[in-house]
Amino acid sequence: MAYQRILNDDVLNQVKDIFKQLTNEVKVILFVSASAEEVSGITQQLLGEVCGASDKIHLEVFDVVNDNAIAKQYKVSGKAPAIVVAAKDGDVITDYGIRFLGVPSGHEFGTLIQDIVMVSSRESGLSEAAKTYIKSLASPLHLEVFVTPG
Amino acid sequence: MLLAHQIAMTNPEMVLAEGVSAQEFMDLSATYGISSVPDTVINGKGRVIGAVPENNLIQEIKRLMGA
Repeated sequence: MAYQRILNDDVLNQVKDIFKQLTNEVKVILFVSASAEEVSGITQQLLGEVCGASDKIHLEVFDVVNDNAIAKQYKVSGKAPAIVVAAKDGDVITDYGIRFLGVPSGHEFGTLIQDIVMVSSRESGLSEAAKTYIKSLASPLHLEVFVTPG
Repeated sequence: MLLAHQIAMTNPEMVLAEGVSAQEFMDLSATYGISSVPDTVINGKGRVIGAVPENNLIQEIKRLMGA
């Protein structure tokens, strides 16, 4: 069967254009699972096309069960597909606590692209007041943002 | 979702921000009784429904965690 891209030429060219502004390197880590085979496959293909749009983005894929130590390190144990968008400086990967659980489709596709641009810039874009407060947190903060794809 | 990710990036040692596809993670959605989206759950307790500006989400976080 011929390979069929998920992103059409228009979208892919727009993504390539956006990624021309990338300065620092980005690591995208995907956790897949046989128990979520179809959505894991779709997500892996989508991320392959997105990450292939710039040589500053590096994709790595793990299995959430077979690579459970790494899944635990990134706090995605038992969750797939799960996406981490992190900074890459040489061999050093910096986890910014950014996660997607599920296929980033529809509106969330745009969020994925914005996340990659943001992480590459190494600047969150939050207001100074918000940054001051969030940096002062003395206990963990877990945000779960539920969305509907499409 | 982007706002939550911006917050996490500001202090990744303390903050984890997950965007969750409600349809693919139905058990998790059911745990919180998610009925409309976007719905931001804060530390499993607080809720902010809808896409809100930065200040609104920060204020709710402050209310739950202390300013």
